[in-house]
Amino acid sequence: MEFGPVWRAMMRNKGGYFLIAVQIAVTMAVMVNAFAIMQERSFKMGRPSGLDEANTFALVSVGFKPEMDSKALISEDLDLLRNTPGVINAVATNSYPLRQGGWSEGLHREPGVGKSVSSSAIYFVDEHGLETFGLNLIDGRNFSPEQVSWDKDSPDPWPATVIITQALGEDLYPDHEGSYVGKTFWFDDDNPANIVGVVERLQAPWPSWTGVERSMLVPLRRESNDVRYVVRTEPGYRDQLMLQVEESLANSSKDRIIRQVATVDEARKLAYLGDAAMIKILTFVISLLTAITGLGIVGLASFSVARRTRQIGIRRALGATRPAIVRYFMLENFLVSSIGIVSGAVLAVGLNMFMVQAFSLTPLAWYVVPVAMIILWIVGQVAVAGPARKASGISPAIATRSI
Amino acid sequence: MLNMKNVSKVYRTDTVETHALREFSLTVEEGEFVSVTGPSGSGKTTFLNIAGLLEDLTSGTYELDGRDVSQLNDKERSRVRNEKIGFIFQSFNLIPELNIFDNVDVPLRYRGFDAPERKRRIEESIEMVGLGSRMSHLPAQLSGGQQQRVAIARALAGEPRFLLADEPTGNLDSQMADSVLDLLTEINTAGTTIIMVTHELGLVDRARRNIFVRDGRVSDGVPELHLADLAAG
Ligand SMILES: Nc1ncnc2c1ncn2[C@@H]1O[C@H](COP(=O)(O)OP(=O)(O)OP(=O)(O)O)[C@@H](O)[C@H]1O
Ligand SMILES: [Mg+2]
Repeated sequence: MEFGPVWRAMMRNKGGYFLIAVQIAVTMAVMVNAFAIMQERSFKMGRPSGLDEANTFALVSVGFKPEMDSKALISEDLDLLRNTPGVINAVATNSYPLRQGGWSEGLHREPGVGKSVSSSAIYFVDEHGLETFGLNLIDGRNFSPEQVSWDKDSPDPWPATVIITQALGEDLYPDHEGSYVGKTFWFDDDNPANIVGVVERLQAPWPSWTGVERSMLVPLRRESNDVRYVVRTEPGYRDQLMLQVEESLANSSKDRIIRQVATVDEARKLAYLGDAAMIKILTFVISLLTAITGLGIVGLASFSVARRTRQIGIRRALGATRPAIVRYFMLENFLVSSIGIVSGAVLAVGLNMFMVQAFSLTPLAWYVVPVAMIILWIVGQVAVAGPARKASGISPAIATRSI
Repeated sequence: MLNMKNVSKVYRTDTVETHALREFSLTVEEGEFVSVTGPSGSGKTTFLNIAGLLEDLTSGTYELDGRDVSQLNDKERSRVRNEKIGFIFQSFNLIPELNIFDNVDVPLRYRGFDAPERKRRIEESIEMVGLGSRMSHLPAQLSGGQQQRVAIARALAGEPRFLLADEPTGNLDSQMADSVLDLLTEINTAGTTIIMVTHELGLVDRARRNIFVRDGRVSDGVPELHLADLAAG
């Protein structure tokens, strides 16, 4: 190929080519890093919560009679729910993953006042919590019914047994190898909790919290007029049972109303609304930028063809075939693009290193930069194809006909 | 070696039809130096473009080297232009972005010669036109006469059988024109067939044969000058 002369000819008209190369480089850097952000967001959105999400819904019972026997009502409600055909299990709890509201506590490795070493989301449940949430118990055992106590709004004292997530164990006991079952930590000065079980995964209610994987089940029924129930159904029965259960609960007591009936899927959607929007925006930005760069290349190539009409005719007269003319412009574009793409790759990696440092973004996957490079090379070649084809149509007679 | 019979060329635009060549017939033998004269607009350039396969003919037949070239496709035409024909233009037509060396290199690359072969040919032909010391100059850094000599070097580097020149001295003063013509004469003596369009009757006697074009035909009115014959007679 005529690499040398094409390069030397370009070097005599640096301006336009330089600008396009810069544009390509910037596109490359933005593209790669926008993609890195998208990838991170979509990874975040893809994390499982630990629940049997597709078959789970929640609702809230709000009692409005101050003197009502809420303890009795909760027990009745749970009986009703658990005996409804199609329901696998149900539990009264303060919150559930993806709800974006919940309870958290600082945890201590030693008794007495001092700095907490970890923190965790708290889910108050009874012995049905494990099955209702659909959790995978990897160590220890579930609560026994005797371990579940009743209390008012805030536990005092805290129950002495808990089930934690694997991630919480790792955070609480970073140097510990082996089972966390049997280990003790303290909620505050004098509230020890003994770990009886470990689940593989159960997210905290706040998806954007850095400690999202740290949570625990605490065996406590809370006596309150406002109760949140989480219900897990057989696959495929969720939507139907959601309506049915809402109605039967509403009918079973006139002293309360049923509110906030929602599936976990809906909660997930709401929880990741911002992330989903970010992905859409960045996709748009990447597409737009790529399109603008493509158009820039079309513009430069068209200009370059127009400026060289005569020279193209001369080349044709001297024996260039039409494909040879097309190749000339393709090669020229390849050279400009390569400069832009290679410096863009350097820029992209640099920017990413900065973002990893400044915003603790995960580093780029190895293939992102090469894929972006290939995409931009293709965009360049596609963009230049039209003007190049046009150039190849210029008549060799131009050489004698124009002065 | 060049044989045109009843060639006509019609340019059609939306409103006008221009008959640039009508029933144009001409035979040129190997080794000839033919000058073509005629009034402006008579069809000289059109003839040269058709002879050089830069344009299609409308009707008639054209044989080059015994081969009918009027029906070739673009690729074959490009190849004939590249291998058999050298062009010299009134306005030199060097590529402004390329230095002298790269300019002469252009047709050789399309020919597919390897790098050492190209280098040898480029240097030889540039030496031949006396510009050996200017190889890395840009066209704009040379005088008109020098640029035309580069164009001649470019035309000759591929050793074509056939050199077509359209007013090669039209943009040169008479001294430079003379040196260019000396060069062409030398090339012709070495065996290359030359057809040269010119306005200037003073140049005609450089050629050994002159044809006069008027109204798109080889003129009946003015007899072809066969200078060699005259000299012999
Ligand atoms: N591309 C074209 N489209 C239409 N008409 C054309 C075209 N090229 C040439 N002509 C016409 O064809 C005729 C012959 O033109 P040509 O250029 O061959 O003349 P010429 O003898 O070379 O003239 P000059 O001495 O001025 O160069 C002219 O009338 C010209 O206007
Ligand atoms: Mg002319």
